[in-house]
Amino acid sequence: MAVKIRLRRMGQKKAPYYRIIVADARSPRDGRFIEEIGTYDPSTEPVTVKVNEELAKKWLANGAQPTEVVSKIFKNAGISK
Amino acid sequence: MTGVKKKYLTPVFLFCILYLMEHIVEQNLLYDFYGELLTEHQRKIYESAVYDDLSLKELSDEYGITRQGVHDLIKRCDKILKGYEDRLHMIERFGKAKSLAVKIESAAARGGSGMSDEIAGLCRELLEIL
Repeated sequence: MAVKIRLRRMGQKKAPYYRIIVADARSPRDGRFIEEIGTYDPSTEPVTVKVNEELAKKWLANGAQPTEVVSKIFKNAGISK
Repeated sequence: MTGVKKKYLTPVFLFCILYLMEHIVEQNLLYDFYGELLTEHQRKIYESAVYDDLSLKELSDEYGITRQGVHDLIKRCDKILKGYEDRLHMIERFGKAKSLAVKIESAAARGGSGMSDEIAGLCRELLEIL
């Protein structure tokens, strides 16, 4: 079962705010997710990234595939496999 | 009008908008402001792409169009939405107004002498944008 780590948009209109979630790749649209591992808030200066590093590493080690933007966020936060 | 426009198109501001912001955040903002001007079909797919961070492959499976088709649609929507922003500058003005409001708030919280002058100045700046 392919698992992906992706952003999910939260927050109001014109005030984007994201959760970083782990979700099954096959059910991308129904809103279900396995676990929330962090948040990404671009409205602050500088951008606020909160990631539960332990969980992120665990999921990456288990083969979860981060999307392009999530892997960039992880890289900036110093998280790798 | 051009005076106002020029004033806020400072290099620093453009740098923030274009380079510091993740592409997906920019897309989200564009969609929040101008999304309703897209067609129903474009809206559905673009929203999935920018709200749920779906890949081209996932979008193509979900909506039954080719990967290339999804790619073209998203690029086209980006271009359309950016075109609106280039002409209307709503995001730019929103950002500027928001940062002025934050400054006014912190000036008010700080208090002290000169506060009312500072706030009046900031309010004048704010009114110029709106």
